Amino acid sequence: MELSTNKGPVREKSGRSIDFGFLGPLVMVAVIMGARYLFPDKLAFFTEASIYAIYVMGNNILMGYLGYVSFGQPFYLSTGAYAAAIYFAYLGNSPIVAILLAVAVGLALSAVFGPIFMRLKGNYYTLVNAALCAIGLFTYEKLLIGVTNGNDGLWFRARIAKMPFLDVRLTSNLFLMVCVILALLLFLYRWMDKSALGAVFRATKINSRKAKFLGYNPYAVRIIGFTLATVLSTIAGALFAINYGFVNPNLGENSRSIEVLIATLLGGVGSVYGPVFGAFGFLGIKDIVSRFMSRWEFAVGIITILVLFFFSKGIWGFIRLIGKGVTEKLFRKKTAGSIGKEK
Amino acid sequence: MTRLFEAIVYGFSSSGILFMVSLALSIGYGLMRVVNMEAMLYYSFGAYITYTIVHATGSFVLGAIAGTLLGALLGLLVETQLLRRVYHREMMFSMVVTYAVFLIGIGVIQFIWGLEPKPVQAPIDGMLSFLGISVPIYRVIIIAIALVAYALIQLLINKTITGKALRAGIENRDNVVALGININKIFTTTFVVASAFAGLGGALNAPIIMVGPYMGFDMLLLSFITVILGGLGSIKGTAVSALILGQVISVGGMIWSPLAAVGPFVVMIIVILFRPTGLFGVKGKAFGFDD
Amino acid sequence: MTDKTKLLEIRDLDVSYGNLAVLFDVSLEVEKGEVVVLVGRNGAGKTTLFRSIAGFLPKRKGSVLFKGENINSKEAYRIAQGGIKYIHQDKQVFSDLTVKENFELSSYATKDYDWDPLFVFFPKLKTLLGRKAGALSGGERQMLLMAMALLGKPDLLLLDEPTEGLAPHVITDLVGVFKEVSKTTTLFIIEQNLPLVAGIADRVYCMREGKIAAEITEHSEIAGISFEKYL
Repeated sequence: MELSTNKGPVREKSGRSIDFGFLGPLVMVAVIMGARYLFPDKLAFFTEASIYAIYVMGNNILMGYLGYVSFGQPFYLSTGAYAAAIYFAYLGNSPIVAILLAVAVGLALSAVFGPIFMRLKGNYYTLVNAALCAIGLFTYEKLLIGVTNGNDGLWFRARIAKMPFLDVRLTSNLFLMVCVILALLLFLYRWMDKSALGAVFRATKINSRKAKFLGYNPYAVRIIGFTLATVLSTIAGALFAINYGFVNPNLGENSRSIEVLIATLLGGVGSVYGPVFGAFGFLGIKDIVSRFMSRWEFAVGIITILVLFFFSKGIWGFIRLIGKGVTEKLFRKKTAGSIGKEK
Repeated sequence: MTRLFEAIVYGFSSSGILFMVSLALSIGYGLMRVVNMEAMLYYSFGAYITYTIVHATGSFVLGAIAGTLLGALLGLLVETQLLRRVYHREMMFSMVVTYAVFLIGIGVIQFIWGLEPKPVQAPIDGMLSFLGISVPIYRVIIIAIALVAYALIQLLINKTITGKALRAGIENRDNVVALGININKIFTTTFVVASAFAGLGGALNAPIIMVGPYMGFDMLLLSFITVILGGLGSIKGTAVSALILGQVISVGGMIWSPLAAVGPFVVMIIVILFRPTGLFGVKGKAFGFDD
Repeated sequence: MTDKTKLLEIRDLDVSYGNLAVLFDVSLEVEKGEVVVLVGRNGAGKTTLFRSIAGFLPKRKGSVLFKGENINSKEAYRIAQGGIKYIHQDKQVFSDLTVKENFELSSYATKDYDWDPLFVFFPKLKTLLGRKAGALSGGERQMLLMAMALLGKPDLLLLDEPTEGLAPHVITDLVGVFKEVSKTTTLFIIEQNLPLVAGIADRVYCMREGKIAAEITEHSEIAGISFEKYL
């Protein structure tokens, strides 16, 4: 829309009015761990949600930093999962290796698809990704059925070995490992967000031509972002594989592509801690709703609309807003048009 | 060899359906820059109402008319109540919102009609034999209807003043407004026509495929591939790519059966690689990045 | 009681793009029959002002009165129908349609099918009727846009940098057209070509950083381009 919605220079808030400093990730994970001990029978939920948070972080980079909507994230998730699964089923039994393999697979996928996809504009990207997801589903379900067992699923729980210091065959131990990984990734994520790279992402998203004139290569920036997002997704996939002990094509279904989008939006797009809130929020809602309704799609649709129209800043954004209001009252600082005011 | 020719004819009938069903998507993006994922609801509801009417009255023609009208009605509802509110938002927003509507619509379908697939009898059973091949008459009828649809739309777009305003609006919406033309009304009308065709497509496809709550999912992807391959916003593009994809599914599937499912995706990705705007991308709108 | 000869009256207008304020307290007026020119550097907010008037941007504060009526919340197409025609800076025509079809669109919008007066202003267009608008040169496009805008006999034309990018002899022709057109239509023009401004303006508004910096009514000042200091 040329005349009417020229946005001009837009003030993107990178500022946080609540931020626990670099201890933030630790605090976040500590809260998760604390909650898990409060509800010991919900261990499976906490593990899943923590892994899902990593998946959402990946999508958050795509949506928040690059401005892309992918209707095909399940492809990357399931590829990571199958990479780990195939490794366990046929090659080896170390969880560490499986995760590293997932990282390698993520890098490989980025190398192949990044250069192609990052040339596409938003809507084309969305649909090409959806197509990729469908192709992936077909590949895992039918084409490679000899390797993946198709819809019967690939089972390998028994083959996971005890790691030297932690036996992740026990869910409680797996949860610990996931927490450690999550904390680490949150650190890195936050560091990136605050660094020049984060700024460059935002600049490129807002006005890529200007970013180019500043000397940044928008295309390269996007590829970096895509790589980060993809690797996070494959890591999450591998963790899911270890968690369940088996993988089937359901993980990569097209219809599930909306779920990670909702989780991202629910948490608050583009923020550092949003993905955690979004993951827990979404899976929590799903858990509760599916007890009452078998027709899950309907509920997902309604939730999406509610979130988009009334809750656009997401849970974390909402918390920040409240926090900002509170700290404003406490310190009586004028924050009109504030950017990056740290507390 | 006869099998090949028959597959080609089947392919054309698939193309016909695909074309009619994909119009709403093509126009939605071409004029208003929305990616309306709920478009398959017009298709699905069209098919389902046809089932209900055929079940109640035995008349397929009535069912098809009902399907067309329901598609139009739903299109009107969605465009005026929902899409209007999201035109000015970013594409991410409209995509996810319309997908949510799509999901809700599926929920409604399940609620009204349940989960089991509904069989719909084709109105005509016989075969048509010509040039040594034999194809169901029904398929030929579908091809005929699709051709009429295409001709009608071309007429509307190229010969009527509203059609010209539409084309102008696709190229430069604000300038059309600056002339004093209420482009919103024109767009709504066009959108309703497109959703009516989607409903008709659903009705016509009902005897061929399984009428189930998830029929929209499969068609959604295929429809998007059609529109992307053809170039978002180009009616001719939609028609041409529907032709191509219909053959890929039909003849390709005959050669190697997985091609029926996967072929369209592969074709799309290949074309996009070399021509990011699709075959007939809308003039004046770059789909690569302008950096 | 509103003075009826004030065709366009803007009072204390504030316009923002989202959070970014662009126009501050803009007040000006255009009287019927005048040629008023708006000058200012790039980024001063001139185009933003025109867009706001034409209804393409929401107004944050203040009012725009056209023929005494407040058009703040009127839809853009209604404003155009009401007698304000806005011609955009980038001289975009509907390239896929022929010149004739471009005219037909404007006639359809205004119900004015009398093209003869336009051919008096722009005789060349008559020879170009069958050509695709996309094939026209910059000058021809500007003429087409003006001709289209004149259908329906609008009260006010908002011309955004009409001579930008055009060859000198084309500009001369265009200025001649402005003078003719201004006999029946009020013109509000954005221009960066200051000598040209001196030649046609009855009054000049200088805009700087989103505000009206000066209003020049003295003919000697306009002719001498002494208002440059306000930019």
